[in-house]
Amino acid sequence: MYCNQPPKKPGDKKEVLQKITNMARANSLWVTAYGTGCGSIELRPLGTSRFDMERFGIAMRPTPRQADVLIISGYLATKTLKRVIRVYEQIQDPKYIMALGSCTINGGMYFDSYNTLNVLDKYLPVDVYVMGCMPRPEAIIDGFSLLMKKIKEGRAVGWKHYRENLDYYRENQKQIIKNWDLPDYNW
Amino acid sequence: MIDKVKKELEIRFPLLKLVREQHNYLHIKVDKAAAADAVLTAKTSLGFTTLQLISAVDRIENGAFQLTWILENYDEQEILLISAYFPRKNCVVPSLSQIWPAASAFERELFEMFGISFPGNPREGEDFLLEGWKDMPPMRRDFETEEYARRTFGERQPREHTDPRQYIGDVVGEWNTPMGRNREEEK
Amino acid sequence: MLSNIMSILLTVVTALVWGLLLGGISRNVTAKIHGRVGPRVTQNFIDLWKLFRKTSSIHHGGMFWMAPLFRITGAIAVLLMVPVVVGHNINYNMSFAGDIFLLLYIMFFGCLGMALGAGNSGHPYSVVAISRGLAQMSSYELSFSIAVVAVAVGLHTLRIEGIVAAQQAGVSSWNIFRFPFASAGALIAFLPMQMAYPFSIVLAPQEIPIGPPTEYSSRFLSFMFSGRALFSVAKLLLFVNLFFGGASSWMALFVKTFLLYMYAIVVSSVFPRFRTEQSIKFLWLVPTTLALVDLVRVML
Ligand code: SF4
Repeated sequence: MYCNQPPKKPGDKKEVLQKITNMARANSLWVTAYGTGCGSIELRPLGTSRFDMERFGIAMRPTPRQADVLIISGYLATKTLKRVIRVYEQIQDPKYIMALGSCTINGGMYFDSYNTLNVLDKYLPVDVYVMGCMPRPEAIIDGFSLLMKKIKEGRAVGWKHYRENLDYYRENQKQIIKNWDLPDYNW
Repeated sequence: MIDKVKKELEIRFPLLKLVREQHNYLHIKVDKAAAADAVLTAKTSLGFTTLQLISAVDRIENGAFQLTWILENYDEQEILLISAYFPRKNCVVPSLSQIWPAASAFERELFEMFGISFPGNPREGEDFLLEGWKDMPPMRRDFETEEYARRTFGERQPREHTDPRQYIGDVVGEWNTPMGRNREEEK
Repeated sequence: MLSNIMSILLTVVTALVWGLLLGGISRNVTAKIHGRVGPRVTQNFIDLWKLFRKTSSIHHGGMFWMAPLFRITGAIAVLLMVPVVVGHNINYNMSFAGDIFLLLYIMFFGCLGMALGAGNSGHPYSVVAISRGLAQMSSYELSFSIAVVAVAVGLHTLRIEGIVAAQQAGVSSWNIFRFPFASAGALIAFLPMQMAYPFSIVLAPQEIPIGPPTEYSSRFLSFMFSGRALFSVAKLLLFVNLFFGGASSWMALFVKTFLLYMYAIVVSSVFPRFRTEQSIKFLWLVPTTLALVDLVRVML
């Protein structure tokens, strides 16, 4: 069951409250446990005692309903993109996307593949890119701290951007997903 | 042991060519009309009951697809490869999905990736990996992968400089992403 | 009237803060056992506030909305029925003869509401988790009830206040020493109540990723979190009152509940998980037998 009205634009809340909320959001990032490419191998050590992401308040959530961050961990096949869009739209606002690896930036070593997209930003609003092929856990933690900084300053607004420019993103998505069967809104 | 298999096959298919032979490995090439017969013989009277893979190679210079059925005799630890050349144009190959249900998946994949049709496979034409693919089958060697990728996924922007400062935005660590660019254009 | 409301508020707020803090401490202890640094102690408050401020646009029917409230209501009801600090009337306490039986029922009220709500969400993982949870609940409830009945029969009282009052004559009069078998049974049943590890078949992160709350998000989840914090404090209080002599001061209360909570955490972080049928078999056999031993001993 879903509502097919686009949700109302969030109004400006009181400054102080917004600041506290932003601090809370930055310090409690929950990640959807969803891996798309090679990069998700490097996500696993983040939870172990060596890198321990829990000390920043980052935790893995098994369901998109409860997550804040979607990590696109590498090359994305068009078939996977459909699932990723599904997952992204099920995450409740505010939500952020972090993209790992050169594959998401410009196609990386799969730039001439028939089935992996090249520039992720055309299809989903990416808040933070982490470069590398593949990025080491340290680099991912660095990406997280950048994301935290952006959230605290209120600049991580990819989700608003997606909502406002939905037509642009939908058009791009439909261009490469041949058998489009997603509902046009499924927030 | 493999000698016995070879002799048996030579009696039944006098026209076969030997490609390679090792102590428990035999690769033969038969005429396309005899291919299905040879595979069936190997299964029913020689004990090669496991179908490991059906593979196809695009021999574009011969105008043919080389299909190889890889069979295994698990009790004797023997592997038998039976190859045959089929003309590339409107390639039709007898289906084995009635004998090995597992063959159905391989045949669907070959149909999708090479356009080889297997009449008799009840699930032929169902989506296997590519959802809603309309172009030429992508594993054919006359398929222009790079051109296709450029056409579908957009131009990859190559670097003209190697100075990272060119590609990193004003804020250190923040990439000059298409999303950012869109936003600047709006302003 | 006003003072009653004030004292109810005081109890609930204290319990909530203490429950969330305990959660943060337990995450830290688990991390230390894993050799990690662990999150901040206040992490649970941050999570709660973040969840509260997330938007929510999921609707699965009325029961889905009600379930977190059921959970909180059940927790508060339990909290108000057990004496928080003995001989202190700052905390509201609706005590009456026979309240122990009402309590045994109402402790599972929240879980039942939760089961209905999560079932309404229609997610297969929730449904699997709920069928497991109800099966397990019926098995640990049995041993816990027998233990409580043994204590009540032994002390000739059906009031929790009476049970607490009977334990005020020094450490040796605590029920854990007077009814060692029943206490052992109840303490084993305490682990599945806290969803601690050998019995954590409801949340089972490896197979049904998170269990009942799979579909819950943002504000619902924050309510559910606070409900869980309240409920675990209520259970801790109940156990302290039933078996550990109650708490005569705030300090004693915090120390006792903390130690009891740590017991569940430490056991939880060193054990793997039972399969469903193993867990149920264990709970039907071991703690129930232990509790029955004391019940029979008291009756004879
Ligand atoms: S960037 Fe490298 S490591 Fe990451 S998905 Fe692409 S090829 Fe794999």
